[in-house]
Amino acid sequence: MKRITVDPPQSDARRDRVERQVFAKLQTIRVADRADAAIPPTRMRGWLVASAFAAAGALAVALFVQSPEVRVSEREVPSQITTPVGGTSQFTVGDAVMVAASDTSVEVKHGSDGGITLVLARGSVDCDVAPRNGRPPFHVLAGDIAVEVVGTRFTVTRTPSPRVDVTRGKVRVTAPGGSWLVGAGESWSPQVTASNTPEPASEPAPVLPPVAAPAPVPAPATTIAAMPVHHASSQAAFLAAGRLEASDPARAAKAFRTIASGKDAWAAPALYALIELHATSDRDAALADCAEYLRRFAHDPQVEDVTWLRVEILRAAGRRDEARSAATDYLRQFAHGSYAGLAARIATPQ
Amino acid sequence: MGLSIVEKPAPAGEAELVAACVAGDPAAQRTLFRREYPRVHATVYRILGPTREQDDLVQETFIAVFRGLARFRGDSRLSTWIDRIAVRVVFDHVRERGKLPIPLGVVDDEIAGPLEVDAQAHARDGLRRLYAALGELVPEQRLAFALYAIDGRSIADVARLTGVTSVTAKVRIWRARRELMKRAENDPVLKEQVT
Repeated sequence: MKRITVDPPQSDARRDRVERQVFAKLQTIRVADRADAAIPPTRMRGWLVASAFAAAGALAVALFVQSPEVRVSEREVPSQITTPVGGTSQFTVGDAVMVAASDTSVEVKHGSDGGITLVLARGSVDCDVAPRNGRPPFHVLAGDIAVEVVGTRFTVTRTPSPRVDVTRGKVRVTAPGGSWLVGAGESWSPQVTASNTPEPASEPAPVLPPVAAPAPVPAPATTIAAMPVHHASSQAAFLAAGRLEASDPARAAKAFRTIASGKDAWAAPALYALIELHATSDRDAALADCAEYLRRFAHDPQVEDVTWLRVEILRAAGRRDEARSAATDYLRQFAHGSYAGLAARIATPQ
Repeated sequence: MGLSIVEKPAPAGEAELVAACVAGDPAAQRTLFRREYPRVHATVYRILGPTREQDDLVQETFIAVFRGLARFRGDSRLSTWIDRIAVRVVFDHVRERGKLPIPLGVVDDEIAGPLEVDAQAHARDGLRRLYAALGELVPEQRLAFALYAIDGRSIADVARLTGVTSVTAKVRIWRARRELMKRAENDPVLKEQVT
């Protein structure tokens, strides 16, 4: 059979671009992995811990869903689930999948409207609940805390300190101090943080189903306030900005800038993304971004790429003398770097 | 006699490079990228033709390579292992993308080599027709044919990279060729490419 000759175009610039993008993405992935590792295990398993915490009046979480997920039933649920110390139990109620943690007692009640209510007497339960759009309502009661689920996955922890971690979707946390929207990847905690003010409570508190709640517990002494966990929210914002790059680069740039202005682990990848974005549209801004990157993240693994990008941006802008000087800078720092050959040719033209 | 595929073991030095990459040595990772890029780039290009997604797929391949390198056991050559990943990435892309025609504007920029204007136009047209015809094939046949007839791989290599037996690889290539020949009957430019 005849072989067909197709010669791929060879281009060092193209290779360099792919190389930079590969290593920038790997760096982003490493940051994401570190952020995931930093999330406490309660995010995945603790849900409502009813036994120890003195709850604040009423805590209501209303959820607004983005991505439904229906999982396979492990087993049909009895009306009362009790797990021993050290044991766990996975069960399903309708389209919701729950995992009861160690030493947990939870009762499942079915309302006349087809709704489902979990009454948590002690322990914790992790719930993965499909959107309620058209489905019967789903509620959880734990002491004085009421959670109305519209559909998402999230974790509410009551001990050692109260906290809401949202894995998917969006929730509204309502507590005596106000009401807060918490998005996927974000966390809420009733710690005293003066810098965070609650958003205006525009939506009514969720209506509880007609079930007998456990006896109320005393209110906590702390003031309720929001405490976002920046890593997770920055990660979500970074990914969202990345998705905007092709369709709306201006908005993507703005989002990257917001993240880059922060101080968490996502600041460097966001600033790098901003450099790449500006490199083709606004070279002066890209050069300013490079300078900022090299100043703020001098020990970051992407420094070599940013140093080289600066050379490329200057060359593309026709600023030859500055490009030559930048190439010399590059060689000074990375004499055996990935772009050393080309840098040498630029720094000392024939 | 049954078919058997014996893979060559990784050469000395490769294991050290892999170990350094797995340990997070940036210089080793760059070395590996630069060593493997030309072949991966060429393979992806030859399977897909000139598309805008080409660089994204090469990028995706290398990210998968670096993320999975700790699982590379050295049973085969590193290049084979990387090529398998590239082929998988491209296959997934082709399957998801479906039968979309290659935009002419993309082909324009990608013809390599110092051809004369007429020859360039002819080559461009041939390339466009070839990949448009390949785009009509089922992904498995397209992949096998492109690896064999365009990327110059052996039947055993095609089998190894696509995870099938040599007999299956041969059948796919043969069917792909038959389909292309059918299309070429009324398309002299395509005929020139495939006969």
